[in-house]
Amino acid sequence: MSEAEHEHSHDDDHGHGHHGSPWIQHHYDDARHQFDAGKLGIWFFLVQEVLFFSGLFVMYILYRAHHGEIYEYAHHYLAVKWGAINTGVLIASSLSAAWAVRCAQLNQRKGLILCIVITIVCAFGFLSIKYIEYSHKFHMGELWGKRFDPCATPNETPLLTKMKKCEGHVSSVVWDPNGGPDAIGGPKAGCLEKGDYDRDPKTPGIQAQCTVDEVQYADESRKSEKGRKELEACEMEKEANGEAHAKNAPCYILQINHNVCPAGPGAIEILKNESEERGNEWGVDVECNKAPAPVAAADPFAEAHEPVVLGSKLVAPPHVVTDEEEVEELESRPPPPHTNMFFSIYFAMTGLHGLHVLFGIFVFVWLLIRSIKGHFSEDYFGPVDYSALYWHLVDLIWIFLFPLLYLIH
Amino acid sequence: MATEHHDDAHDHGIAHVATKRTLLTNWAVLTVLTILTVSATKIDMGPSANLGLAMAIAVLKATLVCLFFMHLRYDKLFHSVLLVGGILAGALFVGFTLMDTGQYQETNIWDPNSPPQAPNAPRPIVNQ
Amino acid sequence: MSNAVTATADKPEPNFLEVTRGWKSWATTLDHKRIGIMYLVGILTALMLGGFFALVVRTELFFPGKTIVNQLWYNRAFTLHGAVMVFLVIVPGIPAALGNMILPIQLGAPDVAFPKLNLASFYLWCVGAACMLTSIAMGAIDTGWTFYTPYSLTTTAAVIPAVLGVFILGFSSIFTGLNFLVTVHKFRPQGMGWFQMPLNLWALYSTAVIQVLATPVLAITVLLLFVEHFMHIGIFDPNMGGDPVLFQHFFWFYSHPAVYIMIIPAMGVISELVSTFSRKHIFGYRFIAYSSISLALLSFLVWGHHLFVSGQSKLATMVFSALTFTVAIPSAIKVFNWVATLYKGDIRLETPMLYALSFILLFTIGGLTGLFLGILAIDVHLHDTYFVVAHFHYVMMGSTLVAFLGGLHYWWPKIIGKMYPEKLGQLCAIGVFVGFNLTFLPQFVMGARGMPRRYWDYDPEFTIFHQLSTIGAYILGISMFTQVVYFAISAKRGPKAPQNPWGATTLEWVAPTPPTLYNFPSPPEIPELYDYDDLVEDPEHGGFIRKPSTGPKKGGH
Repeated sequence: MSEAEHEHSHDDDHGHGHHGSPWIQHHYDDARHQFDAGKLGIWFFLVQEVLFFSGLFVMYILYRAHHGEIYEYAHHYLAVKWGAINTGVLIASSLSAAWAVRCAQLNQRKGLILCIVITIVCAFGFLSIKYIEYSHKFHMGELWGKRFDPCATPNETPLLTKMKKCEGHVSSVVWDPNGGPDAIGGPKAGCLEKGDYDRDPKTPGIQAQCTVDEVQYADESRKSEKGRKELEACEMEKEANGEAHAKNAPCYILQINHNVCPAGPGAIEILKNESEERGNEWGVDVECNKAPAPVAAADPFAEAHEPVVLGSKLVAPPHVVTDEEEVEELESRPPPPHTNMFFSIYFAMTGLHGLHVLFGIFVFVWLLIRSIKGHFSEDYFGPVDYSALYWHLVDLIWIFLFPLLYLIH
Repeated sequence: MATEHHDDAHDHGIAHVATKRTLLTNWAVLTVLTILTVSATKIDMGPSANLGLAMAIAVLKATLVCLFFMHLRYDKLFHSVLLVGGILAGALFVGFTLMDTGQYQETNIWDPNSPPQAPNAPRPIVNQ
Repeated sequence: MSNAVTATADKPEPNFLEVTRGWKSWATTLDHKRIGIMYLVGILTALMLGGFFALVVRTELFFPGKTIVNQLWYNRAFTLHGAVMVFLVIVPGIPAALGNMILPIQLGAPDVAFPKLNLASFYLWCVGAACMLTSIAMGAIDTGWTFYTPYSLTTTAAVIPAVLGVFILGFSSIFTGLNFLVTVHKFRPQGMGWFQMPLNLWALYSTAVIQVLATPVLAITVLLLFVEHFMHIGIFDPNMGGDPVLFQHFFWFYSHPAVYIMIIPAMGVISELVSTFSRKHIFGYRFIAYSSISLALLSFLVWGHHLFVSGQSKLATMVFSALTFTVAIPSAIKVFNWVATLYKGDIRLETPMLYALSFILLFTIGGLTGLFLGILAIDVHLHDTYFVVAHFHYVMMGSTLVAFLGGLHYWWPKIIGKMYPEKLGQLCAIGVFVGFNLTFLPQFVMGARGMPRRYWDYDPEFTIFHQLSTIGAYILGISMFTQVVYFAISAKRGPKAPQNPWGATTLEWVAPTPPTLYNFPSPPEIPELYDYDDLVEDPEHGGFIRKPSTGPKKGGH
């Protein structure tokens, strides 16, 4: 719209013309009345925003209170560096937004335009950094809920994972059968995506096509005679090392169920090869692979076979650990159950916050256009003030999100 | 600058004008506090103390933003009442929900047969 | 625009209906009265739609087993009935339709504080309603209006537009509330302090507080549900470590206060009606005003009473049960004050008053049965039975909708400038009262005997209750439909309404009938609130006028 059109619409809409600025609406007494009403309105809106975000904070606090171990583990996936830079960027943009209000109040049009431009640039900077963070997480499968399927632990130890195309990985389905797929990635993970996997051991017919079924851990291993022996051996090894720390470290028993991989072409070989590539750290017991049970799958009512233990591994390093090593060790552990919830919460909170930043950009572009047209003056700077208030609230929310998500000790 | 004399004015026209000094000082303090909170995590004071410190700094930062960037220091008291009221309503939401889930969450959601310390997640290939 | 309407001495300023013409002038209007009328049309349409689904449900239940629809469509019918009635009719009913028409005039203001936002919230309402209709077209939802997880995550995709619709309607409601709050704060004229406001404004103000504080939580709840459908984030999904009970907390943090979004403005309307038609100053003005605010605040403390049998912990259950009883206090204060106002009043049984009296009775029943449900031991027995259905219909329909109809009859002459047929109106009011009680009283009995809600089939012993209920529903439906028809006819050819047909004292009756574009040609003088001594019947034009001889200030009453 041109200036002339503005004058025209002014004549139309604000005919009484008893105000200083053409932007004072008809039903207000004067500039102050309009400003005060707008200010009260934006404050009610901010209250609304606080309550809007409160739901997400409830989620965060609830899971943090009950499942702190998830947060302690998963926050290592987040890059504090980027979070801190983004905090700085937002604080700077808050400064420029506040300064914009000052400029508008003092009729400094150039300063106003400059401040608004700086705010917009900062907002874009914030979103770009978020983009870097998000795209890394997408790449690494460190995602929410069902999509949580990380390629590596926080210290980049590769994880045996689903048929994901993580770089340098050819590995197979290795989920714990007891709530594993649900707990971590949802039931459609891995083989099931191709319709050939079922976590119910009573229907091996479906599982039969799966290359490798499950890795079972200590708890499950106790159920089988062989597993128990392996475990005991492992525990004894721990005892022998005599480190206090080692008692907390579970013994990992890698097991593969024969009846689920009847033909087993390549599956076990893949594991073995992989293991050998890595210096045979698993100590895969080749003898265990002698007799895969090819016909078990045909009988859907057959008893679940006793798992065959492929190897065992002691997790705890056999020496006294320092703080750094403890963190290092924590980071190399596989994610605890339901770590996906951390990422659900992380993406929900930062995503909604990011949408607010995006909306803020639109608002500030609108302000920029209006300020270039010279609409704002000491009598009429309400929109600048209200938008700045909104922007500060977005900043406030980030001030809390940053320590809550990134800075967990 | 021609407008420098405005800096000391407490009320210009229809609302308070923030002085340059206030804005810049506020920004500097906020930046310092951000650096402080990041470095505080490097020191181990126990999980609750670390959390407490991080939250205390966050609340301090939030207060500064509210008071000076959002003009609440010079604004109508009612606007502060609104903000605090909104936060209290949120706190009520958190409080009551926590009061409830504090009792049922562990047993109902977490399977007692596979307690959290048993790792049933993707396991590392190498443990180093 | 406004230049053209500058009044000249010989020609009166045209009213808001005549100032501009054509559908475009309505679609782009910023006038709160026109927006109110558009809301009214939308809400009455939705009311008929919701009523249709109610009749489908009731007809199906006339006999045990299949009567007209199968189980699937029965589930869909009651879900749509609930969702349409709650989100499209009752929540916006009094605040957005009646409130928009009346609030600024009662304040003596030219308009609401943010007219553009007001229009925007109307269009948001339209978009939300369209989303709801889309979900019907997609095969309809069958989750119940509460969208409980995890069922709502696994059922048909029609949940997605419905949930999106609720999100949008939520923001429509928030913006209306925000607008009203600022209007009440900033547009009270000189001489009208907080305690010189009509009680209807107190009620609308309290409602707006809840709208701004509670509705955003609904928004985030349904947003998470929406995201859950597309991205499977698992917050409410136990399969991924989420918590379905948390959904219920989220949902009821809004939806219990939402019950008060529905009932508090109804109470405000009734306060006006009871005083006006008893020709008596309202009894306990401050108590009614404060009880509105305290109801608004207490409404945030009781949501857990919807979760008594949802696996909520024992501690929370007991705390919420205890807090639930406190709600009875402000509610009872209001009822006692209305009854005290009626006492020795010069009661006139015109249509709005018939609705007001129905309200007092029905609300009392609805409120008292709520206490039953607040008791833990009894709730375990009565939860999810027809007792609950009857209870909340007594509150939502028997109270809110009845007050809405009362308020509509009361303010119709002022806004439209035409009278409705009084005798027919009274007949319909009685029809609503009789039909309503016939529908829902048997449901209390059924529920107490164990008839579960939302069931398609039932034991033959319940047949008689269901049949009475269905007959009542048809009486109710006919009475309501007749009203819609006569309102439509009245808008076209009703007799011209006098300026103050009921002899009421609030500011809107000082404004011209229908009001001008900015409500008052000149700033009005604030009349003495609820003081009926000066108002006498006008034999010439009908209605009431102020005694010319008496000055505005009187020694007492």
